[in-house]
Amino acid sequence: MSKYPEMTTIQVGDELPVMHKQAGEAELFLYSAASFNPHRIHYDREYAHYEGHQDLVVHGPLQGSWLTQFITDWAGPGARLLSVEWQNRASAFVGEKLTFSGSVVSVDQVNGSVELEIYERKEDGSVLMPAKATVKLGQS
Amino acid sequence: MSASLIPPESLARVGEILAGPITVRIDRRESQRYAYAVGDLNPIYFDDGAAKEAGYRALTIPPLFITHALVTPKPASKLRADGLYEDSTSVNLEVARMMFGGEEWDFLEPVCVGDEITGTTRLLDLDQKEGKKGPFVRLVRETTFTNQDEEIVARSRQIGIAR
Repeated sequence: MSKYPEMTTIQVGDELPVMHKQAGEAELFLYSAASFNPHRIHYDREYAHYEGHQDLVVHGPLQGSWLTQFITDWAGPGARLLSVEWQNRASAFVGEKLTFSGSVVSVDQVNGSVELEIYERKEDGSVLMPAKATVKLGQS
Repeated sequence: MSASLIPPESLARVGEILAGPITVRIDRRESQRYAYAVGDLNPIYFDDGAAKEAGYRALTIPPLFITHALVTPKPASKLRADGLYEDSTSVNLEVARMMFGGEEWDFLEPVCVGDEITGTTRLLDLDQKEGKKGPFVRLVRETTFTNQDEEIVARSRQIGIAR
């Protein structure tokens, strides 16, 4: 039996394993470097304050890539991510504990795909990023 | 009705190409640096055997890396006070700040290391709306990514909120 979800057994309401993320200064620095993003709000605390942020800001696209990781870790290497969308409702800051959770909201047996509803939340439970995705599950 | 935040000359740019076409070869080390920076150590990005077993032609890449692969480096003298580069893709609006509103992606074909990817960004939509905190502008930039076989591999719509 595969350790990844399969069309024969998947059901609406199935939950994805929760994923925790936290970016410190080093992680923010590495993401700025790897994405060639020189925006000062990600590395200059004084400048971030000047722009009205409470602390260094976690990059929006970094959270986007955490979102795709959350999905592909669950779906497994044989699955294919077909679409993903998210809204950025608030900023995440350096050191904050962030949590991704999600569930299956529909199953399309004809196309072998499922739709997911996902939320990235702060520690106080407030939603940072609501998201949706469609994934074609792998063959076992 | 609030005053327009969108000057007519900006509205006239809807449909215009804002950036590209720019073509780059997807590089293994750049993709893997990105994966490490995200903390996404999926073997299909690092191990040829794992990628092939999963049905890919070669190593594949973290899905959103394709955007960053197309970033064109510029000299530090082109940096503005906020650290960003002078941006030829910016659209003139009567607003104080632009925020990141979200993204929508369609993935149509796999992208692998070594692929030649071309990205073209258009101003898809520019629309003034009334929110709880007053008027704002919703700006949508769409990037289409094609590969060396002229297949569309992905489309992204980046949504900016300006007020």
